Amino acid sequence: MNTIEIKNLHFSYNAGEEILKGLNLTIDERSTAIIGQNGAGKTTFVKLLKGLLRPTEGQILFNGQDISKQTVATLAKDIGLIFQNPNDQIFKNTVLDEVMFGPMQIGMSKDKAKEVALKALDMVGLKGTEKINPYDLGLSERKMVSIAAIVAMDTKVVIFDEPTIAQDYMGKKRIQAIMKELQRQHKIVISILHDMDFVAETFDRAIVFAKGDALLDGDVKSVFKEKDILEKAYLEQPYTMQLCYELGYKEAFLNPEDFVAYKKANQ
Amino acid sequence: MKSLSLYEDKQSFLNGLTPGCKAFYIIAALVIPAMLGNKLISIGFIVLSILLLTQSKVIRRTLPILAVSGFVLITVIIIQGLFRAGNETVVLDLGPVAFYKEGLIFAADIAINVLNIIFAFCVLVLTTKPSDIIESMVSRGFSPRIGYVFVSLFQLIPQMTERMSTITDAQRSRGMETEGSLLIRMKAFIPLISPVIMSSFIDTKERAIALEVRGFNSKEKKSFLNVFHANAASRPIYWILLIATVASVVWKLVMMFA
Repeated sequence: MNTIEIKNLHFSYNAGEEILKGLNLTIDERSTAIIGQNGAGKTTFVKLLKGLLRPTEGQILFNGQDISKQTVATLAKDIGLIFQNPNDQIFKNTVLDEVMFGPMQIGMSKDKAKEVALKALDMVGLKGTEKINPYDLGLSERKMVSIAAIVAMDTKVVIFDEPTIAQDYMGKKRIQAIMKELQRQHKIVISILHDMDFVAETFDRAIVFAKGDALLDGDVKSVFKEKDILEKAYLEQPYTMQLCYELGYKEAFLNPEDFVAYKKANQ
Repeated sequence: MKSLSLYEDKQSFLNGLTPGCKAFYIIAALVIPAMLGNKLISIGFIVLSILLLTQSKVIRRTLPILAVSGFVLITVIIIQGLFRAGNETVVLDLGPVAFYKEGLIFAADIAINVLNIIFAFCVLVLTTKPSDIIESMVSRGFSPRIGYVFVSLFQLIPQMTERMSTITDAQRSRGMETEGSLLIRMKAFIPLISPVIMSSFIDTKERAIALEVRGFNSKEKKSFLNVFHANAASRPIYWILLIATVASVVWKLVMMFA
């Protein structure tokens, strides 16, 4: 079972301004959403997980190994990070070449890279776009190209930074399916998100970041029940939960399906 | 975001002068000594600029600029002092090498001119917001399009620097080494530079549309967001500099034809 252990993690960009203040967490194969207001330290945290930043104090252990001993490029075999803006990575002339770039960087043969790239493109719904220039696609499709580019690398950890930005309903459903599939393959799926309904529908666990620390950590339902603490972190509950509380229900419902199931069971 | 501008708002006498007045100070500092052909006037302008910059508490900001140009000037002094054609009078004998008076005087002339230019430009650049310079020019009939190009440079270059850092992170995340031998760096060049260029094109297109929808090309008379509250001394100083500059040119012409 893959695990990431975070021990007493501190980080600051400038002396005296700590962004992360002694974080202790264990991330396992439960899909994990990292939520919190802007500036809470979420992106800094995932950059540390990926080795793009080095802790000022503390340790990050991936399957027991301290990641600070490895370069970002060598970590790429194990930990994948999908950036928020797809334009930050796309540089090849065709979608297929772009998706094959990562796998070839980590040592896959050209044939193997092509095979995994085609599979990843199929998974993100871009089958048939292989020969198209990525910049001829819309932003939401380019985002899917960047997801495919990391999925094709077959890393044990996949980190998404704001995957639902620029996605319509179908796009969100597609991303949800991708995350479920990655989880089914026993990968660690972590995502930074601002869309609470998506978190409620997709993830097993939520960690609320506030002022460089984990304010709340637990299964999604238990975290979203803590309305007062969420408000302190400038977060809101999923809409279904808000509606049901307004209607006077004591139960917490993460999504409409939960609520409908409850109503049917209690008729 | 790091600023590209060297400007510092110190609420000083120089900060309060109009950009036009300070721009004309540069013209005067360069034209008057050239017309009168006297290095003492250049030295006078250097001293005046230093006094003004000191009063405005930005003299320290000139040090990095002087450090860069100082290296070039020292090279000029050494080369001219040792090797200038026409060197005859030895002023410093260091055994195998000797410095000559003629070469050193020539190099000193160059150094005085360069220092005068640097300090005069510092008077404008260190005490004037770039946007104030452009707005002042646009309000006097300079093309708003060209003005926008200059203003946007001060935003775009730091933005591109930040984006370059994100792009480097994104490519390193996909297993690409960006540090090491020359060959590794050369291989990293295309994956790093292509997204920067493509993103810049996309940003430029979006900025152009955003400007257009806000009436950038409107033929109406425009009003300006920032009203510059100029120091009352701006106008008299401007006229004194203008008269002195014109007088020096007239004097030069009279001397040529006399």
